[in-house]
Amino acid sequence: MPKEMPTMREAIESKGYSRRDFLKYCSAAAAILGIEAAGLPSIVRAFETKPRPPVIWLHFQECTCCSESFIRSTHPIVADVIFDYLSLDYTETLMAAAGHQAEKSYQDTIKNYAGQYILLVEGSIPAGNDGVFCMIGGRSAEQIIQEAAKDAAAVIAWGSCASNGCVQNANPNPTNATPIHKIINKPVINVPGCPPIADVMTGVITHLLVYGGSPELDSQGRPKEFYSRRVHDTCYRRPYYDAGMFVESFDDENARKGYCLYKVGCRGPVTYNACSVTKWNGGVSYPIQSGHGCIGCSENGFWDNGPFYQHLASFPGFGIESTADTIGTAVGVAATAGVAAHAIVANIRKRKLVKELKDESVEINDEDKGGNS
Amino acid sequence: MATKRIVVDPVTRIEGHLRVEAVVENGIITDAFSSGTMVRGLEIILKGRDPRDAWAFTQRACGVCTTVHALASVRTVEDAVGISVPKNAELIRNIMEAALYVQDHVVHFYHLHALDWVDVVSALSADPKETSRIAQSISHWPKSSVGYFKDVATRLKTFVESGQLGIFANGYWGHKAMKLPPEINLLAVAHYLEALEWQKEIVKIHAIFGGKNPHPNYLVGGVPCSINLNEVNAINSERLNHVSKLITDAMQFVNQVYIPDLMAIAPYYKDWGAIGGGMENFLCYGDFPTHGYNQTDSFKFPRGIILGQNLNEVVEVDARDPQQIKEYIKHSWYKYGAGDEAGLHPWEGETEFNFTGPKPPFDQLDVQNKYSWIKTPRWKDKAMEVGPLSRMLVAYAAGVTEVQDIVNDTLARLNVPVGALFSTLGRTAARGLETKLIVGWLKGFFDDLVTNVKAGDTTTFTKEKWEPSSWPQSCEGVGMTEAPRGALAHFIKINSGKIENYQLVVPTTWNASPRDPSGQKSAYETALIGTPIADKDMPLEILRTIHSFDPCLACSVH
Amino acid sequence: MEQTQKAIYRRIYVWEFPVRLYHWINGFTILFLIITGFLIGNPLQLFYANEAYQQYWFGTVRFIHFVSAFIFFFNFLVRIYWGFVGNQFARWTNFIPLKKARWKEIVNVLKVDVLQVDPSMRIEIGHNALAGFIYFFSFLAFAFQSVTGFALYAANSQSFLPKLFTWVIPLMGGDFAVRQWHHIFMWVFIIFIIIHIYLVFYHDYIEGRGTTSSMVGGWKFEKDENINNDE
Ligand code: HEM
Ligand code: HEM
Ligand code: NFV
Ligand code: SF4
Ligand code: SF4
Ligand code: F3S
Ligand SMILES: [Mg+2]
Repeated sequence: MPKEMPTMREAIESKGYSRRDFLKYCSAAAAILGIEAAGLPSIVRAFETKPRPPVIWLHFQECTCCSESFIRSTHPIVADVIFDYLSLDYTETLMAAAGHQAEKSYQDTIKNYAGQYILLVEGSIPAGNDGVFCMIGGRSAEQIIQEAAKDAAAVIAWGSCASNGCVQNANPNPTNATPIHKIINKPVINVPGCPPIADVMTGVITHLLVYGGSPELDSQGRPKEFYSRRVHDTCYRRPYYDAGMFVESFDDENARKGYCLYKVGCRGPVTYNACSVTKWNGGVSYPIQSGHGCIGCSENGFWDNGPFYQHLASFPGFGIESTADTIGTAVGVAATAGVAAHAIVANIRKRKLVKELKDESVEINDEDKGGNS
Repeated sequence: MATKRIVVDPVTRIEGHLRVEAVVENGIITDAFSSGTMVRGLEIILKGRDPRDAWAFTQRACGVCTTVHALASVRTVEDAVGISVPKNAELIRNIMEAALYVQDHVVHFYHLHALDWVDVVSALSADPKETSRIAQSISHWPKSSVGYFKDVATRLKTFVESGQLGIFANGYWGHKAMKLPPEINLLAVAHYLEALEWQKEIVKIHAIFGGKNPHPNYLVGGVPCSINLNEVNAINSERLNHVSKLITDAMQFVNQVYIPDLMAIAPYYKDWGAIGGGMENFLCYGDFPTHGYNQTDSFKFPRGIILGQNLNEVVEVDARDPQQIKEYIKHSWYKYGAGDEAGLHPWEGETEFNFTGPKPPFDQLDVQNKYSWIKTPRWKDKAMEVGPLSRMLVAYAAGVTEVQDIVNDTLARLNVPVGALFSTLGRTAARGLETKLIVGWLKGFFDDLVTNVKAGDTTTFTKEKWEPSSWPQSCEGVGMTEAPRGALAHFIKINSGKIENYQLVVPTTWNASPRDPSGQKSAYETALIGTPIADKDMPLEILRTIHSFDPCLACSVH
Repeated sequence: MEQTQKAIYRRIYVWEFPVRLYHWINGFTILFLIITGFLIGNPLQLFYANEAYQQYWFGTVRFIHFVSAFIFFFNFLVRIYWGFVGNQFARWTNFIPLKKARWKEIVNVLKVDVLQVDPSMRIEIGHNALAGFIYFFSFLAFAFQSVTGFALYAANSQSFLPKLFTWVIPLMGGDFAVRQWHHIFMWVFIIFIIIHIYLVFYHDYIEGRGTTSSMVGGWKFEKDENINNDE
């Protein structure tokens, strides 16, 4: 092994950590990755002896935007990631080999580095139906993911496809597109977004390799490091929201002043992502900064939360643009009308209804009053 | 006679899941089958949704050509309900599309296609001095010093010696068909890295106007960003300066790196000017309108068809004519109400799954029957090739002088006949040439935008027909574009403000489709026939021809 | 002669002070929550000369929503507690019809309310069985609105209380869905209130027992003979 390439261990030690720290880091990594204590030595060995951890990147039902996003990383730049940080042994998008040779790279890695390789998954799995909706090398996506996940040291689900099913999972989900965490029996780090931000993707990987195992995850398996805040919480247009200053329609006076996009459908208030902080493409912009509301691309089922230019989803089966409010108003009006009609009928029938009460009541007149006093 | 079926699956360095089965006799491909093996059913999912949202759904057809479906989609809705977008919106859309072209083509050349021609291992034995000399002789690109190429060589050496070859593992190094000298291989490897770094810059144009890349935002009726030169919070002079700078850098990269590299590599592979052709007909919808989507004669790329490789005539195409464009499913895993032989115009298109192939795991497809998730589009029942080559041919035949000049000049420099255009080499060269043209147009669109804004027009959106209540009860539209990979059209039928039917007919659908009911092959299958195979265990030549189309399978099936 | 037919009514202390206090706090906070919630969902269209840093009206609207929400929530907790320690009319048994007689009364009250026929039997002096049952569902709606509201609020808050409800978000499929349901339930409240207030007046009218004022003073009135029967 050439001296120029530091191993994971050397890299960590060069940052001032001791061998004990290194072991602690490995066991933390193992614990978070769900590897039994018995598996620990292998992960220690992997990071200690292998200059670059082996990585397999699988593609299933997806559009490759996650790969495209990945190569837009600005810090670190992607060339450094794939040539210095990792050994990207299998990635259909970039690898030189094809067909049998590609297959061989994949098999070599899962055999030679069992328990040591990192599995990155782009795309959802069309579960069931004999796997015919996604086949690679004559095998179904489901067969491949099960095999690849079995001995993976860590599994990362890239993008909304792998972590929540994304567009193909939208109603009526014709291919039964299913996110990875529902298919495999292992902890999965979900990195949702359509696609996720490039620097978030490389951030998650570097966190895994450099900062002590898996980043802390929230209840949906997302790294808190990037998904702890709603887009809205750190949106630079937030003061306009609080001031109640809204864009009423695209390119109106308010849009030209950069007011809040809430009323043209912005999903920032219900979307957990790093966009408003990390921003896109090296910090150049993010959807809201360029005038379009957030469409919630990192949230579960966001495709069925449309229409995107409206606050509340329309209800299927209620005609066009029936939101909760139109239905609510209709029912409210109906209730008021019912109440009014009821009151009218009650009035017409008042004699009958209150006859008994009238009969029972005493009549008081001035005379009586006078008489009594 | 030695017959063998070669299977390449996965075909890598493409977008998506493509399987190629080729029959090889005596070292030559005699028959070939192309299959798309992944489906998502976007056309089914779109039914019943708000047409104004369709751009976002269809954009997710592909993250590589990440703007064109959004563009086709907003155009199809605008066409259906009768919206014409403001001048600035047209220009910004053109700028975004042109930026995509430049990025996509460069990434294709260096990261998806180059490793078919460039031997990375051979680069190890290059003399950096000689590489530097060659580099300086073909271009003014500043990063051409001996030291620079030495550093690249060292980095490559360290990488290879680590024993972990990563993306280069099991590549076709040392293959007989690899012809470049080590010095040019090193040049290409250096620019592989340069291009990887540069491509993330040009897409910042998408981030500026569309908020992000991949998958920037679009809007029916215009573009979502507002222009306001008196506001920090809109497209202002700083934002425009940023775009301007990115365009300047892009022009430099294309003219000083991409095109010189292409011209340096091509002479070593002139034999590929006679391989990978075979298609007779070429379709181009035309694109880059300069006076509105309906003013076809204002398009930078003219619309039309070349029949029988005849460059003396451009035939008209009308996507609305129910007799012209039809999709077949005889060999695709779908069923039509009217049966397997029927062809449907996309407005009447149907998408219903009907898988009849072998259950995975399998070794071979049943190519006599249905064998792909891609439908088979035809123009007047003829197979069409689409893509950069078609665009260049149609523009050439239509008399676009800048296209004629650049094509003639290139043919002369390579010293090959016009016929060499109809080939793997021709396709790859056409992509480079159009990139050179488009990066110039990109600058032009930007200058026009600045002029328009300066003249006081800052409108980017028209509100008039935004509300579905202002639309006709039912209507239909076509949104045509030229995507980097070729002619793309979206077809919509709207009823009561909702999508009744939505069909995508995508470039790779044209090129990669299985044969039609009459047995005619589409472009991939046609182009592979006659390709020599030096080593049947190393399908390098198949990759060369297939990659020359820049396959996008997620697009093709959707 | 006539005198003997005239009923003698007696005063009954039905709604203890905590119930009345609860009722009006509940009523007013819900009113605020609906108004502010409605505005949060559909902000007004206002054009200002002022800059954003000079105003905060939408923030104030949300502030009122959240303050009302906390009061509403704790008030609701108090009522739940009172359901175990309050008088017989306040007990939780009034809300869940476990006995056959309560079901019979529900049918009876339905006839009175819908068909507007005379009551064929005496209606309970506390909550009538139907009203009680409907309040049971409105309590569920209170709980739902609190759970979804606090789950949404958790994103703004470091406090432990909202954090107790974050499990709702993945369960319901994300913030958007939670917010959507939270919004939809606003309409449940609006419709409840329309009908509730009307029925209070209507029952006052046909029963003549002082229903309307009972939530103010606590007293209702019942025929002497009925009370004797009861005993
Ligand atoms: C009767 C009770 C309540 C009603 C009618 C009500 C109504 C609403 C409505 C209509 C919205 C707007 C939703 C939208 O369209 O996006 C809303 C938002 C909200 N409500 Fe409530 N709500 C109630 C109780 C609560 C409670 C108990 C809480 C607990 C803290 C709460 C917290 C919230 C929060 C956090 C929001 C989102 C505000 C924002 O993010 O700006 N609500 N509410
Ligand atoms: C925001 C509006 C209101 C809400 C949400 C509301 C809610 C409720 C609830 C939950 C109860 C059950 C009380 C319990 O035992 O815990 C109740 C009972 C009652 N409310 Fe209201 N109320 C509202 C307005 C009013 C108004 C305006 C009146 C009269 C003027 C009224 C009169 C009564 C009376 C008399 C009862 C007892 C009726 C019975 O037992 O059938 N309420 N209300
Ligand atoms: N439309 C589209 Fe495509 C295709 N085919 C385009 O260039 O790649 Ni993803
Ligand atoms: S998450 Fe979105 S961007 Fe990524 S592959 Fe899926 S559809 Fe494409
Ligand atoms: S633009 Fe969207 S994310 Fe930003 S403050 Fe407004 S609603 Fe929130
Ligand atoms: S749409 Fe996606 S990119 Fe960010 S701003 Fe919203 S999460
Ligand atoms: Mg289609």
